[in-house]
Amino acid sequence: MSQYAGAGPTVHDPTTLPSDDNVNNYTFCVELKGSQWFLQKGKMIAYYGSIDFNGIGHGRLDRLVRTSFHSPLHASDWVVAEGSGKMLLADRAFDVNSYDLEDGNLTIRSGNLLAFQPTLALKQSIVPGFLTLIGTGKFVAASNGPVVFMEPPIRVDPQALVGWADCPSPCHHYDHGYMTGLMGGLRAMTGLGGASGEEHQFEFVGAGTVLLQSSETLMAEQATGAVPQQAGVPGSGVPSTGPSQQAGVPRLPGQLGDLQRRFGL
Amino acid sequence: MFRLQGSKVLAVEMTGDAVKAKNGSMVAYDGQMAFKKLSGGGEGIRGMVTRRITGEQMTVMEVRGQGTCWFADRASEINLVGLQGDKLFVESSNLLATDGGLRTGTSFTGLRGASQGNGLFTTTVEGHGQAAITSDGPAVVLRVSPQFPLSVDPGAYIAHQGNLRQSFQSGVTFRTLMGEGGGEAFQIRFEGDGLVYVQPSERNTIAGDV
Repeated sequence: MSQYAGAGPTVHDPTTLPSDDNVNNYTFCVELKGSQWFLQKGKMIAYYGSIDFNGIGHGRLDRLVRTSFHSPLHASDWVVAEGSGKMLLADRAFDVNSYDLEDGNLTIRSGNLLAFQPTLALKQSIVPGFLTLIGTGKFVAASNGPVVFMEPPIRVDPQALVGWADCPSPCHHYDHGYMTGLMGGLRAMTGLGGASGEEHQFEFVGAGTVLLQSSETLMAEQATGAVPQQAGVPGSGVPSTGPSQQAGVPRLPGQLGDLQRRFGL
Repeated sequence: MFRLQGSKVLAVEMTGDAVKAKNGSMVAYDGQMAFKKLSGGGEGIRGMVTRRITGEQMTVMEVRGQGTCWFADRASEINLVGLQGDKLFVESSNLLATDGGLRTGTSFTGLRGASQGNGLFTTTVEGHGQAAITSDGPAVVLRVSPQFPLSVDPGAYIAHQGNLRQSFQSGVTFRTLMGEGGGEAFQIRFEGDGLVYVQPSERNTIAGDV
């Protein structure tokens, strides 16, 4: 970056700050002209002009929230910024980037989303821990290292996944050959005999884009709020009442099935 | 002469003159260098006592010699600040190095310091020369002028220089107490003429959860 050329730092003021663009890799500038933005609490670092920050519960914002915020239990983590001026957003010195959606959809890990325009609707994803944005507009997301865009079919490491757009097929993939049987179970449980740590991936197929961060360090999870306690809702903790489902001992991650089931008992 | 090598290492070329730097921040040098610990930040007995009392302690060494000396601190980003007779206010934990000719001291910050969780006092640097300050992520330098006042989150503030008035803004309302606050309840408002340095990351502050 030019400001490290030794010539001294670049000084910004409201006229030189970009409008809805990155100031540097870690800071994003949003211009408000009487408009509104949703942002996660505590991600604003500085602003020029007069901007108000109000919690989602603010009565005046009811209409806005009704049209573009569909995650009622998530509300305490988000605020609405409105007014006019320029506002800088950043998140724990992570890389931030803005993305444009054109009448599209994108699902993103909840900890990575920083801010979005109210023309987009935010919804809680069926996949626990993820949020879905639908509509047209701009949003800002943080990632640990720059984001890479990949085309499915692809299998990705769970920790590197940031989100995906337009491809509704996220599923688990296990390296069965390596994990099944008694030895496989021992390897997975104890790490002895060479567990590579890559026996489990997320798989995406179909048309769309998958977003990956260039690091396997997850960002702190943002509570997405509890899902309704109903049968059939993933992550709700309510056991499904199907004959094939065994609502029993919680499984360890990567474990394929209970021993007794494997032996057909 | 201060120079950045990459964004996380400060190289200082010296010809017999001295710089003050955070204790233990030297990573390499060539030529002839002498490192001397300065008790009380080289501010004399009075400065030493002031720093002890105010809690704005810093352990500083004086480096003097011929050659190049490189400084770094926990891989944090380094920002150069040029001072032409004006005063830089910076948290002692963010100050990496200053020209030997610059005077350092402490000053009262009032509520702003309290909201940052950094205590009520801050470090001042004044004179003619260069200083290097560290930040978590590259700092953004924002100009404040009479027509453009600036509000800053206390957790992201690292330093400011020039002729600035700061006031403490609180948006605490009954909503905050009910857990429905705006999340940005405390801000420092800067007015006047000068520069403010903010980092793209927020320290944990008492305001963080409000």
